[in-house]
Amino acid sequence: MFSAGSATHEHAVHLSPQPWRWGHPRVLVEYPDEAGGLAIASALRFAGYAVSVCPGPPGRGQCPLVGPDGCAPAHDADLVVCGLGYEREVAREVLRALRTRCPDVPLVVAVPSEVDDDLRELLQGCHELPSQASPEQIVDAVQGLLGPPAQERPSGA
Amino acid sequence: MRSPFQSEPEAFRSVLAVLLALLAIVLAAVLGPAWLALAVLAVMLVGLVIRATQLRIRKQRLDRPLKSAPPHVGSAADRRVLVVANDTLGELALLGEVERLASVPHTHVLMLAPALVSSGARLTGAVDGPVDQARVRLAAVLDRVGQGLDIAGDISEAEPLQAVEDAFATFAPDEVIVCTRRKRTRSGLEPRLAALVRERFAVPVRHLVFDPGLGAREPDRETEARYRREFDDLFARKSTLVTLAGVGILASLVMSMAALVRSGESASPQPVVSQAAATAPVSAVIALKIIPSSKPGPDGKVHDAFTKTEFAVSVGRPVQLRIDNTDSQPHSITAPEAGVNITAMPGIHTYTMLVTTPGRFQWFCVYPCDSEANGWAMRHAGYMSGYITAS
Repeated sequence: MFSAGSATHEHAVHLSPQPWRWGHPRVLVEYPDEAGGLAIASALRFAGYAVSVCPGPPGRGQCPLVGPDGCAPAHDADLVVCGLGYEREVAREVLRALRTRCPDVPLVVAVPSEVDDDLRELLQGCHELPSQASPEQIVDAVQGLLGPPAQERPSGA
Repeated sequence: MRSPFQSEPEAFRSVLAVLLALLAIVLAAVLGPAWLALAVLAVMLVGLVIRATQLRIRKQRLDRPLKSAPPHVGSAADRRVLVVANDTLGELALLGEVERLASVPHTHVLMLAPALVSSGARLTGAVDGPVDQARVRLAAVLDRVGQGLDIAGDISEAEPLQAVEDAFATFAPDEVIVCTRRKRTRSGLEPRLAALVRERFAVPVRHLVFDPGLGAREPDRETEARYRREFDDLFARKSTLVTLAGVGILASLVMSMAALVRSGESASPQPVVSQAAATAPVSAVIALKIIPSSKPGPDGKVHDAFTKTEFAVSVGRPVQLRIDNTDSQPHSITAPEAGVNITAMPGIHTYTMLVTTPGRFQWFCVYPCDSEANGWAMRHAGYMSGYITAS
């Protein structure tokens, strides 16, 4: 890297594609709306968390988490923010898979206003938030479960 | 495509693989029939295509877009902006935008110039030229930006998307601005780079498109989608061409193999000349020899000769010829009008002669022989020529 006026060349490091390219703590945000997902991700980043945003199954075929391969970003996450809209069965399948396949990963779930018995059972042990929760509320919930992350600058930053 | 010579172990493995492949082809050519080498080459090409397809599928699976980003670095007020540009670095509008961004308090700007390396140059490692070009362009911009602003620069020889990923690891931007031309050029960043960055990183991504004289504009989503389609079309056309070339190479290999197999078959001994002989009973067995330089001629020299040159056969009745060719090369009894063409290979072999038309037919040897007398024996009955009488 070189600053204005200097000219020192540095070779870039080749990074192989990996599901998580950043260190812990990592938060996976499952959110179908791109702008909403980015807003939550931004709030979490500024709170010190590495983030990944997944729009969930719609438009992307079956969620790998419910398939045989599983989902590396979910398995390797320290916490998952679930906001896929759990009125829909396809979203509940993902939540069910998260509960059974990643039992140690804490979940923050944005729940709809009306919760039926099936969903109530699924939500046991999850941290619940209203479906219209703001990014700040989500950050508060994440910090409550994971604790505030230690500030660490990436090398060269 | 990554160069297979990027590191010493990769280069060693690549050279070893090429040497082993060449060895296998040479061994096949030396030890087997000629077509075997082509077959080995074809199998290797097919294997290479399958492996390349596997790697591409694996890469696509690993590259499945999932937006991610590292934690923000610095205080909550700090803002880190990554500007990705190369061929547009000289644009005044870009300079103005960078200065505007950097003039906001607590804003840090990193200008990243990925070297525009072609696939071929990347494969061979000849990246110095594009890297130097990026360095010169970036240095010129950094010299012009206002003093006191927090603007740094970096160049990378990696592919542009990889370079952005590297910058995320070292700079942790909160926003990315990708600067391209409206149309894709050979020496410019891909206009669809912005969409790829947006697909992979969970930060706001702006795309600035520069038209000479028109300044910078941000394309709408439809235009972004068109950039993507244009690239996909180009990629599809390239893939079709590569596939067609591959199919052409394989087809020519298969056709060459078939031609070699067929020529091998026609060069092999032909014990049966007249196919009808297979069903008719043999009327006689005649033994004869072919002896080079054995029979004196009227010119006082000794000539190549068959020990028997007159054959009397019954029409439609096969005759077996037990020929002892003592020469090291093949000879023949060829009488086109009688439908006879027996190639006598060196050694003792039995052949069948069948004539279906009555008459007296001259035969001759079609292989060059009696070379010391300029082929004299090939033109004279009683030597390497004679008659077949069918009645």
